[in-house]
Amino acid sequence: MTNLIKQETSVWNKDSELLIEVDQVSKKFCRDLKQSLFYGVQDIATELIGGNRNGANLRKKEFWALKDISFQLRRGQALGLVGSNGAGKSTLLRIISGLIKPDTGRVEVRGRIAPLIALGAGFNPILTGRENIYANMSILGLSKQEIEERFPDVIDFSEIGDAIDAPVQTYSSGMAARLGFACAVHIEPDVLLIDEVLSVGDIKFKMKCHHRLALLREKGTAFILVSHNQYNILNVCETSLYLAKGQLILSGETETIIRKYEEDLCLQGTETALGRITLPPKPKSESLGLDILSVCFQDQEGNLLPKVITGKPAYLSVKCQAYKHIKNINLGFLLSTTSEGESRILTITSASENQDLEIFPGIVEIQMQMSSCGLIPGVYSANIYLKEGVRTFDKIESFRFTVKSEQNTSRCLFYQPHTWKVINH
Amino acid sequence: MWRDLLGSREIAWRLMVRDISAKYRQSLLGIAWAFLPSIVMAVGFTLANNARVINIGFTGLPYPAYVMFSTALWQTFVEALNGPVQAVTMAKPMLARVNFPREALILSKMGEVFFNFAIKLILIVALFIWFRIPVGWTVILTPVSLIHLVLLGTLIGLLLAPLGVLYQDVSKGLSMLTGFWLFLTPVVYPVPKGGTFSFLVQLNPVTPLLVTTRELATTGIVSEPMGFWVVSAVSWLGILLTWIIFRLAMPFVVERVSS
Repeated sequence: MTNLIKQETSVWNKDSELLIEVDQVSKKFCRDLKQSLFYGVQDIATELIGGNRNGANLRKKEFWALKDISFQLRRGQALGLVGSNGAGKSTLLRIISGLIKPDTGRVEVRGRIAPLIALGAGFNPILTGRENIYANMSILGLSKQEIEERFPDVIDFSEIGDAIDAPVQTYSSGMAARLGFACAVHIEPDVLLIDEVLSVGDIKFKMKCHHRLALLREKGTAFILVSHNQYNILNVCETSLYLAKGQLILSGETETIIRKYEEDLCLQGTETALGRITLPPKPKSESLGLDILSVCFQDQEGNLLPKVITGKPAYLSVKCQAYKHIKNINLGFLLSTTSEGESRILTITSASENQDLEIFPGIVEIQMQMSSCGLIPGVYSANIYLKEGVRTFDKIESFRFTVKSEQNTSRCLFYQPHTWKVINH
Repeated sequence: MWRDLLGSREIAWRLMVRDISAKYRQSLLGIAWAFLPSIVMAVGFTLANNARVINIGFTGLPYPAYVMFSTALWQTFVEALNGPVQAVTMAKPMLARVNFPREALILSKMGEVFFNFAIKLILIVALFIWFRIPVGWTVILTPVSLIHLVLLGTLIGLLLAPLGVLYQDVSKGLSMLTGFWLFLTPVVYPVPKGGTFSFLVQLNPVTPLLVTTRELATTGIVSEPMGFWVVSAVSWLGILLTWIIFRLAMPFVVERVSS
């Protein structure tokens, strides 16, 4: 689908109409509520007497939520905003939509903007869905006639059916969000500001939303998309901005930006991902017969690998102290990512592969040899256990390690080891 | 500025329809709430007056009718006064997310005030028929003074609205103020003559508007045309000025409520 959209929108090239121009925009916020309210009153007062607000200087307890951000958006373009929480993405959207004034700099907007920050703005829980559609869409700037034209489409799109005449407070949260989304996308704006709303509803509705957005893009609607899901941004936007703590770190092609962002995300975790865990030896009385001494990754020569490299060999080495003879040890290696929530991505157990690993008393090393690491760059967390049948000898809840890459792996979910060859017949 | 006002008509209408229908849908007594306060007040003061607990001079109208009619007018003023602060406070989440002409909120509240008055009008008409109160031709002029009354309330409310979003003190102070203000307004008593109290009542800008409305509806003789015109002119000018202030102040307010 991505490629399809790209081809169709390539008509809207660099020379197309300029819709949004953001020039050296800065915004400061105050963390202290009382102080913040007081500054508000102060600002109003200076504005009323026509004084100079001195926007470029910070007052006590203030910080820059945005600092010197500049970019342009043309018709048909899609711009992604990435950055961790509190980077200023939503603030930037709110400045563009005209809700708040920048302290310094200038924002110029041509055309109608629909903020999808505001799903269901003005919904009154007591009124029916039908009445709320009217209120919501008129707040978003449509005339009565325009609303009536779009009304059937909105109901159709939201898939609410008979519930349209029930009060909105009886809706499930998904239904309300769907109705809100349906209202917003049917305004047919020039610029659509989307803030983390694509995670609404079930998979089917999400697909429908994406399809609708693609359709709007064909018509020349420009987008600014904020999402923590890199794939959303990669699919929709060709250019992106990377914000961190209110500063514009990088702008350019989405793939480059996302790679940089992911790298920075990974770096935040590396202090704890040393590549090796060493445990103090347990006293024999507490031992269950087999204790893990250390866990690390090694290369083929047996040297410690502080970072695993995608596509290169990596041997997981689990060193143990055994006090008895174990006929068939089962080593489990359960891998999750840490950069994006907790999600299991790999489960390897020697028992399920019918490996007979026999342990004799003394110090032993169990290796799980990966001839080519298929993991993409990131920080991973592994849960490692040693069992025999249902009996657990020892386990490590979280062995954190970093995977780096020497080649471009964005747009990949895993690395496929491969070789190339031309065969001439 | 004027274009925004024009553009906000439709939104204001939608918001008004939304608010009014939501209000009545979640209420058992429904429109009775428009009458009840006036009736309760009239019953209370009539009882007190008959028992000579309070001593009220000659009102020109039968006393219960006088109180009920005046209370209806006073309530309309108070609604107009509280309207902007209420509207803006209630719409906080909406203000923080959508950029729509902010005038719509105020217009919708004014519309609601007039709608409520229209319902009160039923009571007032019933009252006039019941007490056989004679009505002069001047009754057709009452809308003018009524509009000025609402305008004065809206003007003060509009001035306080941006502050009211930031600080809760405003709405609390406002309800206290209106309680006190009622005693300075000839609602349950006729316009006093002489004394400090009379001076205070005369200074009260609501007095000429409310009294004129009442007089236009009944006797047709306006006792204080000067006061009426002065307050009216101030109201019209003031509303323009506060409107500008409101427009300038709102972006700063929005920025603070959502940060």
